[in-house]
Amino acid sequence: MMLVVGLLCYAGFAGLCLGMERHYRDLVGRPPQARVSLGLRLAGSLLLAAGLWLAVVVDGGWSMGLVHWFAALMGSAMLLVFLMPYRPRWAVGLAGAAGVLGPALGLVL
Amino acid sequence: MKEGFRQAMAWLHTWAGLVFGWLLFAIFLTGTLSYFKDEVNHWTHPEIASHPLDDAAALDKAQRYLEQHAAGMKTWYINLPDERQPYIQVMYPGPSGRFANQILDAGSGQLAAARESMGGEFFYQFHYQLQLPYPWGRWLASLCALVMLVTLISGIITHKKIFKEFFTFRPRKGQRSWLDGHNAVGVLVLPFHLMITYSSLVIFMTMLLPGNILAQYGKQTTAIYDDLMPSRGVPAAANQPAPLVSLSELYRDFQQQAPGSRLGLIEVDHPGDANASVVFGRHGGDRIVHQIGYGRVYDGVSGALRFDRQVSSVPMMIAGGLYGMHMGHFAGPGLRWLYFLAGIGGTAMIGTGLVMWLGKRQLKHAKSARQPFHLCLVAVLNVMSMGGLMLAVIGFFYANRLLPFELAGRSGLEVRVFFWVWALSALHAALRPARQAWLEQLGLAALLYAGLPLLNAVTTGQGLNRSLAQGDWAMAGVDLTALAWGLLLAWAVRKLWRNVPVVKARKVAMSAEGEPT
Repeated sequence: MMLVVGLLCYAGFAGLCLGMERHYRDLVGRPPQARVSLGLRLAGSLLLAAGLWLAVVVDGGWSMGLVHWFAALMGSAMLLVFLMPYRPRWAVGLAGAAGVLGPALGLVL
Repeated sequence: MKEGFRQAMAWLHTWAGLVFGWLLFAIFLTGTLSYFKDEVNHWTHPEIASHPLDDAAALDKAQRYLEQHAAGMKTWYINLPDERQPYIQVMYPGPSGRFANQILDAGSGQLAAARESMGGEFFYQFHYQLQLPYPWGRWLASLCALVMLVTLISGIITHKKIFKEFFTFRPRKGQRSWLDGHNAVGVLVLPFHLMITYSSLVIFMTMLLPGNILAQYGKQTTAIYDDLMPSRGVPAAANQPAPLVSLSELYRDFQQQAPGSRLGLIEVDHPGDANASVVFGRHGGDRIVHQIGYGRVYDGVSGALRFDRQVSSVPMMIAGGLYGMHMGHFAGPGLRWLYFLAGIGGTAMIGTGLVMWLGKRQLKHAKSARQPFHLCLVAVLNVMSMGGLMLAVIGFFYANRLLPFELAGRSGLEVRVFFWVWALSALHAALRPARQAWLEQLGLAALLYAGLPLLNAVTTGQGLNRSLAQGDWAMAGVDLTALAWGLLLAWAVRKLWRNVPVVKARKVAMSAEGEPT
């Protein structure tokens, strides 16, 4: 379950990151449209919130859930930030996979 | 925000960070290791075999041993084996006042024939006592924690682009990369840093802020615990002998009343007396809130439940919650690894800060042939506090395997090896040029860390081939982590080796500019 929370958080952070012009340009290669940026940021925020919801409501209650969510936030953000400069393709690929797998597994479990 | 304020905070961050950074690095690194205290204990006591867990049988064995060897003692403490600890631990204040702490084999119930070693307990105690006499070590560690909190908060204020550069890390750009890395681990793991630092102050709050307690209770400061925990007291000895109830039967009762709960520390007061009591503490793995001293209190003769000590007040719940989050006893394997990585992140944040402080100032003196004395001093302290500490840590592990089994005072000697290695590394750092000192110490550390699995395999026969095959993940985990750390250090050495030092690069560049083309 924590892994799913981690996937959601990773996808969420990736969304927020790609929603920033500089990172989008670095990773995609061209400047983003304003609507795309906004959409990415929105999706990112929603995914992070979904992670919180999954950790707290579905899984562990407030005490364990919050701890798990924060742990997932920190772990996924570190992974994303240190993966990007060295393996940008992996970072984006993983974000795509996490963005699909995370919500899907969250709904199944 | 006013620039003056931000600059003042930057100054505070820089200097508080420098002065306390060396010690904080050691506290963070050894504290991080303590998340795997039980696993390190297992590694340092390879003779103790794991047995299938059976709480009731283990209780019987502990009781039998204590009745034979510690009859008439005022209090017994028992820790049962669990997934992370293979042995039974019994403790009691001995006749001479010395606290006896013994390890029993969970199979035979007799003293385990294991090498004498503090194991993970050493790193754990070092991280809050710094090997200084009580209470000075705790005070110094607490002061460090307070300064850490100050540097964290001043660091947040100093960091101008906390959101704009939230995801930014640009490698291979010299000072820029160090700053990016420092900021990234600082900001991304900030919840952990704040939690760990603040909770460490909460853990020692009665020592650090005794004013209220002294004002309310005067000299009888322990009375506060009676008020906080009304059912704390157990009856005094009646001085009439009566047989102690069977602990394993009590345990069956406990299992019926609280199904699924695990046992934490078990305390037996006045065993063999008519007024004996048994306290079944709660296992730290069951809840986040740390509940030392809480649990079910039974009559030690009849086995009747006297009362159930529970955390009652909200402030106690918050303090216990912070305590529990600091220790992380509740964490399963996945979360425990994240704790460990977050701790490494904190350690790295301190380390990068120290490196940057020096690098920035060395640039200013790049043109002069000799660096000023204070920069040389900081360079030596940096090497010794980081490279040297890593050598000292691995030195402890090597001492554990290489010191003779029967040696008297063996566990003390292991600790001394740790400090000898650390002192030698300081000497080495003082004698060698800084870059050479880094290369040599990190290079040696890389070899030693990567070689640990080999040493383990040769000296105990419990190398990776066996531990992995048997599923002994604690043993294999320590070996594999050391190996991974060794490879990481080797990578760092390679990077440092190829990287022409800034000072030299400047000189080369300048002489190149001066040359006619």
